[in-house]
Amino acid sequence: MSHGAVRAAIVATGQTDHGRRFDVSMAEIAREAIDRCLASSGLALEDVDAVVAGNMEMFEGIYLVDQLYVGALGALGKPLYKLNTGGTVGASVALACYHLVAAGRHRRVLGVGFQKQSEGSTQAAITTVGDPIWERAVMAGAIGNFASMASTYIAESGVTPEQAAKVAVKARRNACLNPHAHLKMPDITVEEVLASEMLAYPIHRLDMCPASDGACAIVMAAEDAAAALADRPAWVHAVATAHDQQYMGDSPKRLAVMRSLQAASRKAYALAGIEDPLRDFDVAEVYEPATYAELAMCENLGFCPMGAGGKLIDDGVTLIDGSLPVNPSGGVLSTNPVGATAMIRVAEAAMQVMGEAGAHQIPDVTRALATGYGGNAWTDVMILSAERPK
Amino acid sequence: MASDTWIVGLGEARTAPLLDDVSINELAWEAVAPALGEAGVALAEVTGAVTASQDFWDGRTISSMNVNEVACGAYGSEAKVAADCAQAIGYACARIDDGDQHLNVVVAHAKESEGDAHTIELAAFDPYYERQIDPDETIVAAFQASLLYARGRASAELCARIVAAARARSTVLEPVSVEDVLSSAPTATPLRVLDRAPLMDTAAAMVICCGDRRRRLDRAGVRIVGTATRTGAYWRERADLAATPQAADALREALERADWSLGDVDVLELAAPFAHQHMMLGEALGLGSGEALVERFERGEVNQSGGWLAGSAGSVAGLRAVLAAARRLRDGDGRRALICATSGLAAQSHHVVLLEAGA
Repeated sequence: MSHGAVRAAIVATGQTDHGRRFDVSMAEIAREAIDRCLASSGLALEDVDAVVAGNMEMFEGIYLVDQLYVGALGALGKPLYKLNTGGTVGASVALACYHLVAAGRHRRVLGVGFQKQSEGSTQAAITTVGDPIWERAVMAGAIGNFASMASTYIAESGVTPEQAAKVAVKARRNACLNPHAHLKMPDITVEEVLASEMLAYPIHRLDMCPASDGACAIVMAAEDAAAALADRPAWVHAVATAHDQQYMGDSPKRLAVMRSLQAASRKAYALAGIEDPLRDFDVAEVYEPATYAELAMCENLGFCPMGAGGKLIDDGVTLIDGSLPVNPSGGVLSTNPVGATAMIRVAEAAMQVMGEAGAHQIPDVTRALATGYGGNAWTDVMILSAERPK
Repeated sequence: MASDTWIVGLGEARTAPLLDDVSINELAWEAVAPALGEAGVALAEVTGAVTASQDFWDGRTISSMNVNEVACGAYGSEAKVAADCAQAIGYACARIDDGDQHLNVVVAHAKESEGDAHTIELAAFDPYYERQIDPDETIVAAFQASLLYARGRASAELCARIVAAARARSTVLEPVSVEDVLSSAPTATPLRVLDRAPLMDTAAAMVICCGDRRRRLDRAGVRIVGTATRTGAYWRERADLAATPQAADALREALERADWSLGDVDVLELAAPFAHQHMMLGEALGLGSGEALVERFERGEVNQSGGWLAGSAGSVAGLRAVLAAARRLRDGDGRRALICATSGLAAQSHHVVLLEAGA
C-alpha cells in the first residue's frame, strides 16, 4: 500500500467538454470543471481546505495565472499551490493533492488543471522546453521530439506504422463513448491514419494528439472524510515520480527505453503490491501524446515484453474490450488541454474505479493505473483501487 | 500536527545583478553543492527535490528542467512550485512527512538578468482589460504604497529607513542612506527606484530529511516545525489593497501546527520586494507598526539578514530568508524562527515557515 500517514482517496472528479472552447474564458473553463467536480460529490467550495492548480503559463502567455484567477479557482483566502511541471502537470497536481492529505496537512484538497490552447501557440510554447542554444532549432515542439524518439523506437522494436495507426483508431473510437472528448472519429481507419499528412517522419497528423481547450478537477479526501463523500472512493495505493536527463542526447533511445517510466512505475508497483501489471490492473489511463508513445509505454510499464508493444495492439489486449483496456477515455490522442491532460488520466482512472465512467466504463474495475508524461520524460504514476489500503 | 522535517544542509550561490559566467544549472549547483556538503550526503543519495522557479523569467516552459539534474539527479522525484520557494518548502515537508521521501533537496533559482522585467510582469495582468495601459508590478505596488502613505501607516521616510537598514546588512549591495533612497529616481509615484529590491541572479538550496534520517546523519539540524500558505485576491479585486489578512491567517495556521505563540519567536525574517510591503507584513503579523516597526528593522530584530532588499531574487527570496534564519538557529543565535515570504502582485500570497533549533 501507499506510505501516507493518512489514507487518501479521490472522491470526486469533474471535466469540461474539451475541444475548441471559444464560448468561455480561461477562468470560466477552470471553474466549469471545478463546479462539475464539486457537484458530483455534494461539496461546496467552502468545504475545500486547499487548492492545487496546474497550468503551463507559456501556452496562453499569462504569468502568475493562478494569482489572476484565484477567485475562479475557489482559492481566495486558502492555501493555493501552483505547480508547473510540463505535460505531466495535471498528474503532479493530483500527486500534490495526495501528499497534502496523506501528510495530514488538509482533509479535502481540490486539484484543478486547465489550459486554453486556442489562446496561444502550442508549437511556440513547447519549443521553449528545449535548450535555447542546442535543441530548439532541431527539435521544435512536441512533434519534432516525438518524431525523433519514434524513429529510434521503430529501429529498436520493429514496430510498424500500421501498428501505431491502430492506436490512433482505438483512441478516436473510444473517444466516441466519452462525452467530454475532443476528437471523436467513429469511422477512422488505419488507412486514414497512414494517409494523413506526414508532419515529421514517422509521425502523421493522426498519430499526434490535438491541441485542446479544457479543464479537469478532482477532490482528494482524507479517510475520515472520504466515506461520506463517495459511495466508492478511488483509494490511492501508490504514487511515484521520476524525470529523465535534461538533454535527450544524454539518454539514448528515450522512447524505446523509458527509464523514468520504468523507475516510477516499478516504485509504485512495489508500494501497491503489483506483481504482474497485465494481470493486476483492470484498466490503465496512460499519457500517450503520440501513437508510438502508447506502444512504448505499454512495454515500459511491463504490460508486455520489451519490443512487443506492436503485438499487444495486434492482439487487441489494450482495446476497450481487451484484457487490459488502455485509455478507454480516448486518451491524450483524443483530448489534450496540456495543463489538464495528465489530471484527466487520473480522473478517468478514478472514474473507472468509482464506476462513474458511463459509456466507456470497464466492467468490474478494482484497480487502475494512471500516468503523466511530459518534457524531460517527466513521469508521474498513481495507482488507484476500490479497496481501502491496509 | 507539527512536521518532523529537518534542515541538514544549507547552500547559497553568489548573488549579483549579472552572473554571465554560469548557466542556470551551474548557478543552481553553486547552491546545491555546499548544501550537500554540509549534510554530508552525495547527490546520488538524494531521492527527490522540490524546486521553485518561474517559466517566464527563464523564458522556458518547465523552467526546472534547467536544474532538476543537479537537484536530485536523473530519475529522481521532483516537483516544481511556481511561487516563492517558501511555499515549496511546505510542499517538500508534506512529501517527507507522509513517508514518500526521506532525503530531498529544495532549491530555487532566478537569473533575472536574462529577462525583461516590465515585459514579464505585464504578462501577469489580464490580457484584455489591463495590459493596454501597460502596467507592471511596480505600478501596482505604487498604488498600494499610496494607500499606506495616505493612511499614515507608512511614509517615504519610514520606507527609506527600511531600505537603508537592509542595505547596511547587505553582503552584495552597497550601503545607501535614507537621503539616497529619497533622492533616487522616481519610478511610479510615490515609489523610487531604491524602494524596490534590485533584480538579481542567484540561487539557494537546502537539504532536508525526516527525523530518522537526520539521526543517522548525526546532524544537529534545524527542524521545520510548521508551514502554511494563504492566497489573497488579485490586486484589483482586493477590498483593500493595503491590507493583507491572509498573512495573518497563514501565520495563525502555522503557529497552531507548531503549538507556538508569536511570543515564542526570537528570529524574524520577512521577504518582500518593496519596502512598504515590509511595513504591511509587519503589521499583519503583529510585529508592530509605524516608527516602532521600522526601529525593529534598524536594530536587526527583523531581517537581520537584510532580506530581499539587501539582494535576492523572485522565487529565491523566501528560501534565502529561511537559510538566514536557520544559520542563526544553528549557531545558537536564537531558538525559534518565523519567516514570511510573499508571491504575486502587491504581495498577494503569503508563505510562512517556522523553524526550531535542533537538539
